[in-house]
Amino acid sequence: MTNFVDRFTLNFIADGRWHYIANGLLVTLQITFFAVLLGITLGFVIAIIRSTHDNTGKMKIGNAICNIYITVIRGTPVVVQLMIIYYVVFASFDINKVIVAILAFGMNSGAYVAEIFRSGIMSIDRGQFEAGRSLGFNYRQTMMYIIMPQAFKNILPALGNEFIVLLKETSVSGYIAMQDLTKGGDIIRSRTYDAFMPLIAVAIIYLIMVMIFSKLVSMLERRLRNSDH
Amino acid sequence: MITNGETLIKVEDVHKIYNGGTLHALNGVSAEIKKGEVIVIVGPSGSGKSTFLRSLNLLEVPSTGRIFFEGVDITSKKTDIDQHRQKMGMVFQHFNLFPHKTILENITLAPIKLLKKSREEAEKRGMELLDLVGLQEKAHAYPSQLSGGQKQRIAIIRSLAMDPDVMLFDEPTSALDPEMVGEVLELMKELARGGMTMVVVTHEMGFAKEVGTRVIFMDEGEIKEEGSPKEFFEHPKEPRLQDFLSKVL
Ligand SMILES: Nc1ncnc2c1ncn2[C@@H]1O[C@H](COP(=O)(O)OP(=O)(O)OP(=O)(O)O)[C@@H](O)[C@H]1O
Ligand SMILES: [Mg+2]
Repeated sequence: MTNFVDRFTLNFIADGRWHYIANGLLVTLQITFFAVLLGITLGFVIAIIRSTHDNTGKMKIGNAICNIYITVIRGTPVVVQLMIIYYVVFASFDINKVIVAILAFGMNSGAYVAEIFRSGIMSIDRGQFEAGRSLGFNYRQTMMYIIMPQAFKNILPALGNEFIVLLKETSVSGYIAMQDLTKGGDIIRSRTYDAFMPLIAVAIIYLIMVMIFSKLVSMLERRLRNSDH
Repeated sequence: MITNGETLIKVEDVHKIYNGGTLHALNGVSAEIKKGEVIVIVGPSGSGKSTFLRSLNLLEVPSTGRIFFEGVDITSKKTDIDQHRQKMGMVFQHFNLFPHKTILENITLAPIKLLKKSREEAEKRGMELLDLVGLQEKAHAYPSQLSGGQKQRIAIIRSLAMDPDVMLFDEPTSALDPEMVGEVLELMKELARGGMTMVVVTHEMGFAKEVGTRVIFMDEGEIKEEGSPKEFFEHPKEPRLQDFLSKVL
């Protein structure tokens, strides 16, 4: 037991090493939060363009661009995308790494969210769309008032899952020398030569965040379900 | 202003072609629908009844031909079809109520958003319509809590809330359990007697005989025969119609 206390002190208390964890956590949360926002926005726009094309045959060029985007993003590892954005795209700019990470993870997530949104839109019975249009709603209004609210409810679990994946994926931020939560633990490990303590601590923090988030999603889901059926 | 007896809808030689030209769902249909008429469309499965009805509000866009509603060519690219659809109610076989909205919200959504009615005004009218069908106590229920017959009556008054000039029905009772057909037909008859212009695709010949002003027989994408219910049912001329009637009557 004293052994445990000693190791805990060495890894987290001595030299204020817990700061690596705390600051890293803050960076991780920051990246995840804004990447989620970017991902939803991007995914929403892409899904609307692709569904509009599927439904009306309009927006051919937009649809083609979206298809390429989704294929490329989903066909390459996120860590490679992150490094390309940092070391290639912004090579000659002095740019905040947090912004680079938000861009990389947000753009990556957008491709997956787009497909989730689109499958949600396609899951709605065509009769709903026709009922909306026959009342006099235009395409956009029908989407906004009738299709989207139902689609959103259907995709909530998949969306929640995507954000859990995103949260965990930000752990590769160390590849562009960012000090996120994972990197924080790793720095402690390299200082104290104790792998167990800092890495387990990091793992537990991720786990707790994922569990809290899952709980929030299922609460929201239940509330939405109660509001009909 | 269109008064009784004036032309409300005019269909000019409409063709609808599917599958790259191999399927002629409508094969040159022309018709005139006057205000106050209750038109009943009958015919075998696949004869183009739904396609015809759905082209009246452009849910199906004709391949060629023109359709005029209240004097406006709605098949013209320049026409804002959404504006005209507000005046054409449509009732579907499968109700298509909005499951995420309460019954009252289903009814008031379009009047609030499209007619810019205030919520109070729209809800007042909504409750009046609910009273008409005896379903006021369902105002705050969700569609999933209603029977099929109740859903269809709500679907009908949802369209009525827009104060349409014509109501289009595509087999409104075909998805219902037999014991619920009556309540929906009763409401439709009430509308007909109240002077609503109606175009109804149905297999309910009793409805046609009782309130129909004209019956149309469609077959192979064409209007093969039409007439008053009396001559239509008692003296059918076309052999295809005689054959059809012998099966359904
Ligand atoms: N979207 C479509 N794509 C291809 N073919 C279609 C489409 N809609 C209808 N059809 C075809 O057009 C023809 C007419 O169909 P329609 O639905 O108008 O018939 P109907 O008289 O309403 O039949 P039912 O009594 O079975 O409802 C049918 O052969 C049908 O298969
Ligand atoms: Mg049909």
